[in-house]
Amino acid sequence: MDSFSSLLLGFQVAFSPLNLGLGFAGVALGTAVGALPGIGPINAVALLLPLCFALQLPPESALILLAGIYYGSGYGGRISSILLNIPGDPGLVMTTIDGYPLAKAGRGAAALAISGIGSFVGGTLAVVLLTFLAVPLARVAVSFGPSEYVALMVLAFALLTTMGSGNAAKTWAAIALGLLLAMIGIDGGSGVERFTFGSLELLGGIDFTALTIGLFAVAEVLILVERPLVGAVSRLGSGPGLRIKEVAACLPTMLRSTGVGFVLGVLPGAGASISSAVAYTLEKRLVDRGTFGKGDMRGLSAPETADNAAQTGSMVPMLALGIPGSGTTAVLLGALLMYSITPGPLLFTQRPEIAWGLIASMYIGNVMLLVLNLPLVGLFARLLLVPAWILYPGILALSFAGVYAVSNSHFELLVTTVIGVGAYLLRKANVPLIPLMLAFVLSRLLEDNFRRALSLSDGNPVILFNSVTSVLLWVLAVASILGPHVLAVLRKRRVAATLDG
Amino acid sequence: MIVDRILGIVFLAVAIGAAWHAQTLDVPFAADPVGPRVFPTLVALLLGACGAAILFRPQKGNWEIGHVGRVVLVTVASVVYPYLLGPIGFVPATSCLCFLLALAFGARPLASAVSAVVTSFVFLLVIDYLLDLPLPRGPLGI
Repeated sequence: MDSFSSLLLGFQVAFSPLNLGLGFAGVALGTAVGALPGIGPINAVALLLPLCFALQLPPESALILLAGIYYGSGYGGRISSILLNIPGDPGLVMTTIDGYPLAKAGRGAAALAISGIGSFVGGTLAVVLLTFLAVPLARVAVSFGPSEYVALMVLAFALLTTMGSGNAAKTWAAIALGLLLAMIGIDGGSGVERFTFGSLELLGGIDFTALTIGLFAVAEVLILVERPLVGAVSRLGSGPGLRIKEVAACLPTMLRSTGVGFVLGVLPGAGASISSAVAYTLEKRLVDRGTFGKGDMRGLSAPETADNAAQTGSMVPMLALGIPGSGTTAVLLGALLMYSITPGPLLFTQRPEIAWGLIASMYIGNVMLLVLNLPLVGLFARLLLVPAWILYPGILALSFAGVYAVSNSHFELLVTTVIGVGAYLLRKANVPLIPLMLAFVLSRLLEDNFRRALSLSDGNPVILFNSVTSVLLWVLAVASILGPHVLAVLRKRRVAATLDG
Repeated sequence: MIVDRILGIVFLAVAIGAAWHAQTLDVPFAADPVGPRVFPTLVALLLGACGAAILFRPQKGNWEIGHVGRVVLVTVASVVYPYLLGPIGFVPATSCLCFLLALAFGARPLASAVSAVVTSFVFLLVIDYLLDLPLPRGPLGI
């Protein structure tokens, strides 16, 4: 019953005219930006983050706007996947497999409709799960002390390396780089300058908006200018529209995919991108009669539903534990930290208007998105016709204007460019950027908790392992690092054994 | 292979530099028993271990080369842009940036110029006038 009354409070916050307007602006902008080829959710949120700060919105309103852009871009991303065969981010690769054949067969409109419905089902059911799961999880975490938090963050990093697609050494290196970048500036504990190289401008540290814009806007434009995307826009098509029977046939798929997406989204790691792959593979095993990959509605709705469910699922650890489950929720967490609000178990009791306002706004936002997306999808699809030479210069200009608006400093613009070029080189060398960004956000929290724990024990590191919870978390972290290697060895032995026998 | 060898060496160098810098930190008074040195040192050790792993066990995979000249053009334009912003104002500076970028994305000069000027004015209107976030103005007042 507790959740219901809190949710009611949340709806009061979310239904205020300002928040309703911002929620609408967020989902509409998110759909529009997500629809642009080559631009995924994290790019969309990063691009609009500085403007959001510069406007000095109250924290709950800023979060409602940014979250709207996040899950709104989940609806928009499918448009370029289906009509152009170009996925906006790795999570959308699976959408192209059955989406593009449908568009080529002239059923583009029906494909967009079913994927919109799938996104709605996944998004909304996941918010319901979020409503009832976040508080119990937060209640467990309230008892966490500094040593448990250190272990929890190490576990989050470990999961990120095993579940992500990249090479483990490169992912850990990205984490280390993120932690180091965040240390630039004055150390809060002792007042000592670290890694500032005598520069006055670096005393305050690297600005969070400069980092996100550099990593996810400047680097993206550099990647795109080096190797332009090619794809012919296929029309919405004059083929038969979506039939009720087809929607009904997709419902079991959507329900299963919501479950898959939500669970994988809650775990820290590459939530959205692997959840759509897992959901697609599962459905292919369960219901495929040789039609998957040739334009099967179920093959299209599985990844779309899972993707949106995972996006919402990744909000659970962000809100309840203060540990983001994906790159984009790390940006949202960083946004809250800029307001001097530390998300975590106490957020629900101390700042209920933020936590519950956000959750309530996601119910409203998903309904808005369904209404926006079913009739107006053609309008959003028009965005695909904007030529690259107008679009990407505009994106870079908007990035710089945003950083300038929030910092009023030329130096921050240079920092943004330097980070962007560095990130471009790292991406070319297959070093993933999302772990870097997550580590940057968590660095301060990790170091503070580490030092607090060791002050309690007067410098004895044993304190990091002296409670059942922290030992359990450490064991899980080690298991998730070693697990894949052990499995690989076992599999090799089994293969060798069968060959011998 | 070569990319990973270079990457490994760069990471190792950054790690050594960071660890060395951490040791030079002078703490005037001890607020906590750990101090500001330990955490950067641990992270530098992690980065060094990763750098060594990448250096000695490089992955196969090639560095795909596209239009490198265009990447350099965009980078140079982005570096010069902040220096132009103050003296000549938002609209002229942003027009230059967008013009060069549009060329880099393969547009014709006239089309690039028109779209660059229009884009700059639209952003000035939306960000400065509509959202009320001041952008730098030059001698022309824009």
